[in-house]
Amino acid sequence: MSTVIDLSHVAEAAPGRSIGQKPPDDVLLDVRGLKTYFHVLDGTVPAVDGVDFQIKRGETLGLVGESGCGKSVTSLTIMRLIDIPPGEIAAGEIWFDGVDILSLSPSEMRDIRGSEMSMIFQEPMTSLNPVFTVGYQIAEAVKAHRNVSKNSARDRAIEMLAAVGIPSPERRFKQYPHELSGGMRQRVMIAMALSCDPKLIIADEPTTALDVTIQAQILELMKSIQERTGTALLLITHDLAVVAETVERIAVMYAGRIVEAGTAEEVLLDPKHPYTQGLIASIPSTVPRGQRLNVIKGTVPNPFRMPTGCRFEPRCPHAFGPCKDFDPPLRLTGPNRESACWLQYPPGELPVKETDAPPATPVPVERVGH
Amino acid sequence: MTKYIIRRLLQAIPVIFLISIVCFVLMLMAPGGPQAQFNQNRFIKPEQVDLWLQHWCLVRNPSPPDMIKEYAGWLGVWNCQTQSFISENGGLNFLPSFLGGGVNGMLHGDWGISIYLNQPVLDIILGRLPVTLLLMVTAWIIWLTLALILGVVAAIRRYSFFDQAATLFSYTFYSLPTFWLGLMLIEIFAVTLHWFPSQLIQSPRISPGPFASAVWWQAFWTDPGLYGWDVAMHLVLPVTTLVAVSVAGDSRFVRSAMLESLNQDYVRTARAKGLSERRVIFRHAFRNALLPIITNGALEVAFLFSGAIVTETIFSLQGMGYLYIQGLQAHDYFLLMGIVFIGAILVVVFNLVADVLYAVADPRIRYD
Repeated sequence: MSTVIDLSHVAEAAPGRSIGQKPPDDVLLDVRGLKTYFHVLDGTVPAVDGVDFQIKRGETLGLVGESGCGKSVTSLTIMRLIDIPPGEIAAGEIWFDGVDILSLSPSEMRDIRGSEMSMIFQEPMTSLNPVFTVGYQIAEAVKAHRNVSKNSARDRAIEMLAAVGIPSPERRFKQYPHELSGGMRQRVMIAMALSCDPKLIIADEPTTALDVTIQAQILELMKSIQERTGTALLLITHDLAVVAETVERIAVMYAGRIVEAGTAEEVLLDPKHPYTQGLIASIPSTVPRGQRLNVIKGTVPNPFRMPTGCRFEPRCPHAFGPCKDFDPPLRLTGPNRESACWLQYPPGELPVKETDAPPATPVPVERVGH
Repeated sequence: MTKYIIRRLLQAIPVIFLISIVCFVLMLMAPGGPQAQFNQNRFIKPEQVDLWLQHWCLVRNPSPPDMIKEYAGWLGVWNCQTQSFISENGGLNFLPSFLGGGVNGMLHGDWGISIYLNQPVLDIILGRLPVTLLLMVTAWIIWLTLALILGVVAAIRRYSFFDQAATLFSYTFYSLPTFWLGLMLIEIFAVTLHWFPSQLIQSPRISPGPFASAVWWQAFWTDPGLYGWDVAMHLVLPVTTLVAVSVAGDSRFVRSAMLESLNQDYVRTARAKGLSERRVIFRHAFRNALLPIITNGALEVAFLFSGAIVTETIFSLQGMGYLYIQGLQAHDYFLLMGIVFIGAILVVVFNLVADVLYAVADPRIRYD
């Protein structure tokens, strides 16, 4: 009998990454088989459906994908900021600094949030509270985690404002968010996120709402701060140019899954997954003037009716035999290089549908690990 | 800010003027008039009615120029005695009397005489205000407190059992007419159970005089417990009626303001900072939800003074609402105008108060 392999758990079975087992010390964040579902009136939306990735200490990882692929939900799940209900963290583990944070109590999680890991949001215009001064809002984060006096929290806030390149920080401290420009507000958000020296910063599209010149400044700032403090960075974006400049490693997400991961150069210069190839081919500058731009045909699958096989199969130009019926797991294709595509598997390892093939010997699935 | 307030107050003058002229003319245009009280008396001749109307500076079935003349008389621009714009003192009537102007009309601080009660309008209103203010302010404080608690808790526990129950409660009481609810409360708690009195602000048996009059205060200080308790007992049912109806609407308002605030990005930022849930809700979300609540609350204050017509009538409370309905039935133009005028001023003033408070609460609002 041909095996209908339950491949979604391959990553969990990988050596050193088995469920419940602490990751090695150099791994700061280890997300394993994470599934975040939203129960809405029309049914269940699997926004994140089996995401696996790791960030080592001090490393920068770019999480790339189009709108609605689950990048933001992944980041909010790591911060445990998903509203439950309607959300549900249905499966998986999130190991952060040697602790599975999904097993922590809400108050233990609060101690980590903003202190060990902090987040920068997409919309600096609405992410700051309009009725408090920016200084108060930064000092508040300091006071929440450090047992310090009001004055030293204030000093720390001013120091942070200076660190993110805001001129005359003492004066800015007393200003309200509406008195600052978008770029300044995003600097304030960064100052707030850095105020307690976090081990990990999650930046969810930090430059999307800003205009291009300001984008470059903010990215430059984040890069220099990351290099100076050695904090790890998870940068979420749909902008390939942003990741190319900023991060060491890239993970590409599609329809709630990681489809490809590797160093920035490898992924951008030698994409293995047809989705990544399509993404890179559709960058306007790769097409000579006057020619039609490349596009990935079709649309993102309806979350209520996900394809049974590979989620990219309906849009994939290379789809073949197993793609329609079997969902490819991530497979190591090189050191620290992963791809979830049947094209990367040797022909002998491809699963075969029971009905149209004679029973073969069970296919040994290569263990996938890092 | 001071400049802004002065400008707004100056702008209020034409507004109040317009309100008063529209109200006055609409009132005169309504069929009937104060002379209707003589309709059934066949011994009174039409000429006598006309003379009586002339005494009040009114005419039967006024034409538009008559209406303007009557309004001008009420305002103090027109002099009814000399039938001209010139006063008895020889100057233009609208001028202060020491400059030769008249003494009649609002411009000279004369609110007129009530046709129905034959007393100065201002004295009547000042006599009725204490009851209304006691009733309305007590009810307002209670319903605002309850609405804040119900609204905030319902918003925090959205779709919980508590939220559903509060919604049911709100819609039920919001849909109940006050006259029905008041009568039911009287039937149950006054007639059947004898827990609370059914009418008036104090028991006639121990009443030393009209509520809050000089005599009354004198008696009150001899035994505050007795008189205070008596008034409190009389307030229970009317206050309950007002609170039940108003808390329903206001708690929905607070709930939606709070829900909107809780869904804002900065609340998520506050959570991402690792603040406690209490701090996130009260410091960050509630502080912002307060902005529309402050506006709503300040505007409500303006209407506290005009009293509750239905509730005061049902519980026979001699307040502004009851006075208004009495004036309306008697076509007592000058009494009605007095009440409407106070209402207009208060609405204008509290609109300004709401705007000023808003600027105090929200740093984004600046008036200069």
